[in-house]
Order: sequence, then C-alpha cells, then structure tokens
Amino acid sequence: MSEASGVLVIMEQTSAGWHRISREALAAGKRLAAELNISCSAAVLGSAEVLAPLTTELANEDLSSVWSVEDPFLARYTADAFVASLQQILAQANPAYVLFPHTYQVRDYAPALATRLGEVLLSDVTAFNVSGGTSSFTRQWMGGKLNAEYRHSGPGVCLLSVQAGSFRAETSASSSAPCEIKRLTPQLSAANIRTAPSEPFREAARTVDLSSAQVIVSVGRGIGEQENLALVEDLARVLGAELAASRPICDAGWLPMERQVGSSGQTVAPKVYVAVGISGAIQHLVGMKGARTVIAINKDPDAPIFEVADVGAVGDLFEIVPALTRALQR
Amino acid sequence: MKIVVAVKQVPERDAAVRVAADGRSVDTGDAWTMNEPDAYALEEALQLKERDGGEVIVLSAGPERVESTLREALAKGADRALHIVTPESGAGSLPERDTLGVAQLLADAVRSESPDLVFTGLQSDDLGAGQTGVVLAELLGLPHATLVLSVESAADSGGKRIRVKRELEDGWFQHIEMPLPALLTIQSGGNRLRYATLMGIKRARAKETRAIEAAPPAERHDKTAEIVRISLPERTRQIEMLTGPADQIAAKLAERLRTEVGL
Amino acid sequence: MTSGRLGLEALASLRYVEPLHFSLLETSLLILFCAVSLALFLWRLYPIARNILGAKKDTDFTLAPVGHRIWVFLSEVLCQSKVIRQRPLPGLAHAFVFWGFLAFAVVTTNHLLTGAHLGVLQHTGFVGTFYFWFAAIWALLVAVSIAGLFVRRFFVRPRWLGEKVSIESGIIAGLIFLLMISYLAGFLTSPDGLAIKAWWWVHTLSLLAFLPIIPNTKHLHLVFSPLTVFIKRGEFSQIPPLSESETEEDFGLLAGNDLTQIIALQVYSCVECGRCTEHCPAATTGKVLNPKEIALGVRSYLNALGPASDQPLLNELRDAATNPSPDNPAANWLSMEAAFECTTCGACEFQCPVGVQHLPIIIGLRRGAVNTGAWEDRHGTKLFLALEKQGNALGLSAMERDKFIEREQLPIFDGSQEYCLWLGCMGGYDPKGREIIADFARVMRHLGASFGVLHKEKCTGDPARRLGNDLVFGSLAQSGLAAFSAARVKKIVAICPHCVRTIATDWREYGISPEIEHHSEFMARHAHLLPQQNGESIVYHDPCYLGRYRDVYEEPRMIVAAAGQLVEAERHHERSFCCGAGGGLVFLGEESGERVSNVRAKELIATGAETIGTACPFCNTMFRDAVSAVAGEHPPQLLDIAQLTARALPIAPPPDAHPKTDQPAIR
Repeated sequence: MSEASGVLVIMEQTSAGWHRISREALAAGKRLAAELNISCSAAVLGSAEVLAPLTTELANEDLSSVWSVEDPFLARYTADAFVASLQQILAQANPAYVLFPHTYQVRDYAPALATRLGEVLLSDVTAFNVSGGTSSFTRQWMGGKLNAEYRHSGPGVCLLSVQAGSFRAETSASSSAPCEIKRLTPQLSAANIRTAPSEPFREAARTVDLSSAQVIVSVGRGIGEQENLALVEDLARVLGAELAASRPICDAGWLPMERQVGSSGQTVAPKVYVAVGISGAIQHLVGMKGARTVIAINKDPDAPIFEVADVGAVGDLFEIVPALTRALQR
Repeated sequence: MKIVVAVKQVPERDAAVRVAADGRSVDTGDAWTMNEPDAYALEEALQLKERDGGEVIVLSAGPERVESTLREALAKGADRALHIVTPESGAGSLPERDTLGVAQLLADAVRSESPDLVFTGLQSDDLGAGQTGVVLAELLGLPHATLVLSVESAADSGGKRIRVKRELEDGWFQHIEMPLPALLTIQSGGNRLRYATLMGIKRARAKETRAIEAAPPAERHDKTAEIVRISLPERTRQIEMLTGPADQIAAKLAERLRTEVGL
Repeated sequence: MTSGRLGLEALASLRYVEPLHFSLLETSLLILFCAVSLALFLWRLYPIARNILGAKKDTDFTLAPVGHRIWVFLSEVLCQSKVIRQRPLPGLAHAFVFWGFLAFAVVTTNHLLTGAHLGVLQHTGFVGTFYFWFAAIWALLVAVSIAGLFVRRFFVRPRWLGEKVSIESGIIAGLIFLLMISYLAGFLTSPDGLAIKAWWWVHTLSLLAFLPIIPNTKHLHLVFSPLTVFIKRGEFSQIPPLSESETEEDFGLLAGNDLTQIIALQVYSCVECGRCTEHCPAATTGKVLNPKEIALGVRSYLNALGPASDQPLLNELRDAATNPSPDNPAANWLSMEAAFECTTCGACEFQCPVGVQHLPIIIGLRRGAVNTGAWEDRHGTKLFLALEKQGNALGLSAMERDKFIEREQLPIFDGSQEYCLWLGCMGGYDPKGREIIADFARVMRHLGASFGVLHKEKCTGDPARRLGNDLVFGSLAQSGLAAFSAARVKKIVAICPHCVRTIATDWREYGISPEIEHHSEFMARHAHLLPQQNGESIVYHDPCYLGRYRDVYEEPRMIVAAAGQLVEAERHHERSFCCGAGGGLVFLGEESGERVSNVRAKELIATGAETIGTACPFCNTMFRDAVSAVAGEHPPQLLDIAQLTARALPIAPPPDAHPKTDQPAIR
C-alpha cells in the first residue's frame, strides 16, 4: 500500500448545480494542496446521469484527478450509502487530507465516516495555516468568542469540513487541459441502507418565515408614511431579503404582525440585518441581536441601534436607500 | 418507548472566558448550564413521552458539577439520570478526550440501557463540533438522522419503525423512515422549551441518579488532533460609521452587502 | 296629632309612642318569629362560617401592629373614610345608612323588648326623649339615603354595579325604607288604636325578615366586614411564603384546599360594589379580567365545593364537567386568561371598602399555574428562561451592562461609598433607562454623594414574583441578598419602584436587605440643594409601585414642581391609572382590547401639559410607544424626574471616584 498523499475534496451538488459551499471547499482544497506541495483531486457522488455534466466541469478545474462515484443507490442521499461509498473511494484514492463543505448533508454523514476510520472530523474550519510542511486548522469556540487551532496527529487521514463563507470560491475558469475522470461503482446493497428518505418538500401556506431568512431588511418609524415603504421593498427585492419591521409599523397596519421583529414579535438571527430608520429601542434589539452582521441606516447618530450595528450609516434614508438599491443593481 | 437523552453541561453563554496561561486551554469560570441544543433534545423526548408514554433517561458525562444539569433535566420531567463521572481536569477529564473518546464513554452507558431511541442536541455551545450524536450512532451501530424537527411512530409498523421530519437547507424539509432502535439529533427551535418549575424541582429529589465511573482513556483511544493554540479573534464588533454624501455611503454599503450576501 | 298642623310648635310637641299593651298571643308570636328568624339566619350562616374556619390557616398573619389595625378600623369602618372619599355622594349615603344602623342599635333592642313587656327606654324623661329624637333624625337621613341609592341602582344604573339589576338589593332597600318609615310613624300616630300596633308589627316583621336575608346576600358584609377590615394583611399586596412542609406540597392557590381563612372571609365580605372593577386597567380596557368576579368566583367555588376540595380553582385546569361556579361562567372570570391580564397595579385592593385584598388572590392563582408548569405561554417561558440563564428579564448578555458602566464611567461599589446605585434591568439594558441612570448619576455627583454600582447585577425577580414563579424568584432573591452582603452594601438607591418594592419587601422572605429608597425620595431629601427652574407645565404620573405600593406621592411632586409647573392628571395620587407594564405584563405578548398605556397616555396628553414626568423606567418605556401612537402633531416631551433635575445642572467636570472633601455634608 503506497503512502497516503494529496488532498481529496468531496463535492456536493443540489438540484440546481453545485452547492455554494462546495465551490468554496474546492478553492480551499486547492490552496491547501498548493501550500503543502501535494496534489488535489475531487470526488462527487450520485447517479450516473446526474454526475456526467458535473464531472466534466470538474475536470476543467485544474485538478490532478476527478472521481465519479456512481450508483443508483446514490441518487437520493442516505448516510449509509454515502459512508459506505466514501470508505471505498478513500481506500482507492488514499488521500492524506479529505475536505468537505460544511453542509447539512456533510454534518449528517461525515462524522460517521470518520468514526469508521478511527478518526475525528475537524468540522466547520474557518482557516488553515501551513508552515514547515505541517498544517493547522482553526475552529471557533464559544459561539465565535475564541479561535482554537488544531493540528492533526497520528498516521491516519485528516478529515475536515470548511465553514460557509470562510474561503472565497474561485470565479475564473482554469486554462489548463482537463484531467482524468476516474469512475468508481461502490459495492452497495439495499440491506445496508437503513433509512428511507422521502422527496424533499416545502411547507404549505407559510407566507413569512423570518427565522430562517438569511438576509432581512427591517423598517422602522423613520420611514414616515406607508407609501414610502416601497423604497425599502425595492431594496429587499434586490437583496433577495425578507421584509421585517419594528412594532410601530405593524401596529399601524402597514405590514402584517408576522413581520414584526422584537420582544413581542419574532426573534431572528440572519446573516445580514439591515435596519432602516429604526431607532433601536430595547424591545426591538432583543429580537435581532443574534444577527451576524447588522447594518443600520438612521439620521440620528445617537440612535441606540448603532450600539449593536457593525456598519452604521448616518444620513437621510430617503437618499441612501434608493442610492443603495441602484448601486446593488449595477 | 425508552428514550435516552445525552446532554452536555457547558459554560454559561455570558461567562467571561479567558485563555489559560499555557495558551492551549480555557478558564471558563464556574457558571455552568445545560447546553441549549440539548435542552431541545430533552424537550422533544419529554413531549414524546407525554404523547405516547414511556421513559426518559438523561445521560451526561463530566465532573460532580454536572449533577445540577441532570437535576434540571429531572425537574423538567426526565425519569432517571445517568452520570458518567470524569475528573474535573487532567487525564481522563472531558477536555482531554476528543469527540470519539467522549462518544465511547456515552456509548458504553447507552448500551447498558438498551433504549429504543437516543436523542442528542445538534451541537454544543462551547466546542460546537456538532458530531457527538452521529459518532455515537456509528459506535452503537444505530441508524440515525440529524436536524430532526419531529418524531412519530411510522404507520403500520407496530411501533417498530419511526418517521421523522428533518430540516434541509433553504426552507426544504424531508421525511425519513427508519427502524428502531435509532439515534436522532434534534434541531433547536423546533419545540418550545419548558421552564423549570417549583413542582418539578421538588419531585426531582425523589428520582434516581446513577453514577458510573468513566473508563480511563488510555486503554481506549489516542486523540487524533491536538490543540496548538487558543486565541481571541482579532475582529471584535467595532462599528464602522459611514457619513457623507448619500451616494458615497450607498457605494460602501453596496460593497459590504455584496460580500456578506454573496450577490 | 293631626296631619294638618305643622310648624315648630307642632314639631316640638311630637312625641315618640309605642304600643302600650301586648297580649300573650302577641308576645308568644313575637318570640316565635324571633326564634324562626334567628334560626334561619344561623342556618345559613353556619355553612359559611364553616367554609371560612375550615380553610387553611394563614401562616403570615400577625396581629401586630395592633395600634395600626385599630386605627384602620376606626377610620375605615366607623368613620367610613374610604367609602366616602373614593365615591363621595353614594359613599356618604351609605355612611348615613351605616351610622343610622349603629344609632338604631339601642332603639331596635328596646323595640323588641317592648313586645315582651321588657321595654327599657322611657318615652318621657331626658334620656328617652333625646334618644328617640336622635334616632328619628337618623331615620330621616337613612330613609332619604336609601331612597337615593335605590334610584341610583335601579334607574341611573352605573355599570360598575353589573349588567343585571339586583332584585335582592331592591328588597333590602325596601325593607330598610320600611323600617325607617315605620319608626317615624311612631311620632305621628296616636298611642291608642290599631294604627300604632300595626306600625309596630310592620317594623318588627321588617326587622325579622331582614335578619335571615343577611347571610343569603352580599349583606353578609354587615356581619363580616368590620372583622375583615380589622384583620386585613398588614402589607399592601402581601404575598405569603409557600409552605416548606415535606408532606404537603404547596404551590400557591391551585385548588380549594389552598384557600386560607383570610381569603375565605374576604370573599364572603364582598359587597359587589364594583369599585375594584371601576379602577381596574384590565377591566376598563376590554379584557376578561374583572377583580370583582375573581372574588365572587372564589366565593362561588367555596359555596359549591368547600375549602377542602382538590378541584382546581382556575377554569382551564378543571375538566369541563365540573363547574362549581354556575353564576361565574366557565368561559371567563376565574380563569388563567383573566389572572394573567393583571398588571398588579393594586387599584382594586386599594379601593375595596370591606377589606378584600385581591392581589394575593390573583398572584396566588398565578403561582398555582406557574409553579406546576400549567401555564404555557411563549413569552412567559422566554422570560423565565432569560431570568434563569442570563439573570436579567431582557435576555441580554451581562456584558452589555458592563459596557454601559464603562462608557458612563460609573464607579464600582467597593464598600467605601455610602450608596449603592442599583441599575436594575431597565437601567442596565434599556436605552431610555440608561439615560435616566446617567442623569441621576449626574445629580448624585452634583450633590457630592458617594456611590458605586455593583459589578454584577441580576434581576430583583419582580416579574417572576408577580407572575407567580417562586423557583426563579427565590433563586434571584437569595443571590441578590448574598451579593449585597458580600459587597457590604448598607444603603441602596434605585430608579425603579419595582426594584425598590421587591428588594425592600418581597426579599424579606429570604433575609434582610439593606435600606433602599427610590431616587425621588433621595432627591426630595436634598431638594434644597437642587436647582429651581422656571420650567414648562409638567404632568406627573404616579407609578403604581411608588404611589399605592409605597405611599410616596409628594416627594416626586416636589422634584417636578422645582423643574416646572406641576399639573395633575384627571386620575392622580392613589387613583393614578396604571401604565400597563406591571405584573410582568411588559414582557408578555400583545394584549387584547385597548392598550392600557394608550388610555393613560391620552389622559396625560389631555391635560395639555408640555411634558410628561415619570418616576419609573417602565412607565417611561410604555409611554414612549403610547405617546407616539396617540399623540397628534405636537406630542409632549417624556422625561423622568432625574432627567428633569439633571437638565438644570451645570455641565459637570469629568467624574472622579472620590467626592470632594469641601462639599457640604450630605445626610
């Protein structure tokens, strides 16, 4: 058995192409390989028909090889099928590092795979550092209050998953020649697949789910009149954001109560929260303090909202918001 | 149905955390609480018991202080508690074991109970690896599902199979059927947590807590990764204030939004 | 005396007469009727007395201070002070009827004894003449009063007396009127003949009919209320500690067997006057809660199930089949829904003329529901979890408070300062509360008072206490007392009346707190050192927990008057209308009906004052939203008394931790 070498990136696809974090994981994998001066390959699992266009695209990504793991049992994700398949491909490819995107799916199977290999997955990695031929990986502790750097010890393979948004996906296409696509049909049997998943579905008739929105644009009393809401609605549309409001707006009936954010409304924790014309009364703050990035637009530099904001724009929202919408549309 | 819920005691969210002198561990003070995602797992188990009957056993590994968290679980309605006793620090303590090592401790205790279901929370508020549940399932040889929102007995299965609703990304959901026994990691926010009541606390005093000595780690497993360094992240929430003409502000905001939202 | 001759001489020649002769038959009948009347009275009174005495004993009752109890008895019962002051005209009418009853005591006794040939009062002679005339004047007053009250109840129909017209009240009014007229007839009828005898029997039968009616109606208060007022709990909104017994579980007022003797006596004393309802912020804004019906619901329960029953008191907790309160509809009044609409403002307890104390009952009902986990409310659960995990009612990180303290450069209490300035949840986390703290700190510095803030604070537990969560409240109280003790705090000053009340009174269950005062009391003591302003019109709103709870009305007014021109709202002092935040309600979800805060805001704005002055950060936060919701073009300013004072202070130099030594001594 030859020594383990190289980085293997496990890609993930959705019904609409690559999962966004997959591309980021690929970029991270390539960079890690480059810094360690080793090769980088990628693998993707699924049914043969689905994989064909994807592997062709992957082959142009400046990799040393692409693995296409095909089996009808892989058409719909199950942990058992994926773990068994990956065990087999790792045995064949024998990488030193396996990189996963930290998706819901990976969280479901990668720890089981690691356990089978007697390893522990380094999950949700936000950065890595290579020096003197060894690498260390950074994870967040205490909800982001601390960074912990890990080094993999022991002879086995190092498995890690990368956090969404930590590594920038490459956008430019590569110019080199496509690499070899290796096909692997794993040995899978129905008896070994214990879970039976259904088709994914959406919930019926739920008009607003602020709690799962990634981007929220929220409007407060500063908007003045109901007609002016259109400004904010335009911004929300361009951002692909959900519209929310502080209590007085909902009280006045300008927006439905289910869009209220605050102590007597919803509690939200989106990636981005844009507060337009909101002063930041405590009843509102307690509903959105979990947001990752808060952008506040208010004409009062002393407004309490600026105490919880990451970016504060002091000025007239009637000028800033339309200008922002235009800037985003460019 | 017999359900074992594995909970972890973690430092309180607002506890001041300080990096220890050696730069490789953390002083977390002495304010401890039940890991919130595990509280959701416990809630799901209690609701299942209230609906279909059965027994809920709460399990936790850690030093003596973990008993307060077990008591809280008993006060909320768990029937029995299992405490795997590990030292506060040094060899054999939880920080000295990795995910696989801790899962092995839990697996030994779970095997002794032969439950129908094992629940864990999605991840812990301190280390946040989010793996213990799945690793535990693998060690026990149980089928599993993660991000579970609800559990019910599968139709026509005579109570031998369950059907769970699972959350997928972007507002999609899925049902999964699997045989019992099984392990589920429960999504936070699916249920409303219950508050600890005076009545619960009083009745908890009469409930059994069994202590188990943890097997020392040296026999079982070497850690696969070591901590090199713990540090504070450089970026703290400093507000970047923008003033000036609206167009300039708008341009800067647009750039920031493009980065954050990934437009 | 003929009816035609009136005039002073005629009046002077009036003499009271009674029948001279009673036959053996008549005397026997009299004794028989008396016996029957008394028997009926006792037959109905007995089960009521049994319900009261059969209830649990009150563990927190002490007779002391007896002097205070006697004073309250003299003032509220004998002088009818509360009855008159809170509803002047009907109150006075009732007072006349009451005093008339007292005045008639001797006459009535004599009346009956006369029928048995044992009459004691002479019709001639000084004592007799005086007394009968004395009684006559009262008879007139009573007759006029009762007629007026009858008209009020049956024709004017004020809604506090209820939707249905009370027939029993009509009967009683009629009997009383008859009693008075039949007495007065004794002055206008000749001593011989049938007329006088007839009038005598009318009077007697009216009396004997009245007696058994008493225990069957709200007129039971005639028997009970003097006792009820005398043995009222000593403290306003006094919440008894739960029993620590190992054998019996005590979670509050869960079932009939949790009701105590004092509660039972109080609900049987309820006169259904509706004063509590009239002043209740929930009842007057379209909510289900009606404090009168809470008392009557408990009474109905006792009548149907008794004080040993284990059937739950609240509708939602009973199974549908058992409704012990058929006249208290299952859907509504004695319900969890109603109990959790209470802001604990205390207007009900304050207004009650017969000594019913509603707050321990309502909070007791809440305790039963919360301590057993029966109350499942999304916001309530979030509040309890926030108090448990983060130690503050808003669920914010304690670091936010630390940042505020650092920014304002507030000194940390280290045992060397005289005062500990208590921030509270609002002062530590709410932007407006923080402004009040910042301004009050400026005032304290200006006065040279040495103070510090605690390094860490947890909530006093007020919302948990008022919502009935004894687990969380107990834990916060104990940890708070320990924190004060460890920091060696001797005196505390706080901007929030809820904190003041909870620390001063509710924490007593777990230990002794240091002395604490509200910042209005502190500033009033130093008023001579604070600036006089020639300010605008300011309407002062009495916070419930400062006014009714702590009896502090004039100190904040002193501060307001120094800042501008004091204006009173229509309902002020002990009748101040709640802002709606109390009882933990500010942390719960949306309310039904009209918003309490809007109602009060409209009232304050209607005074035309340019500024609304508050003394509680909760009132302040409620009015901030309410004023912008209801005010028109030029809403009034909203300022706490600390802000009203600080605005006139000279701009201070950077604060230092130690007060200047050449400042005048502050006591």
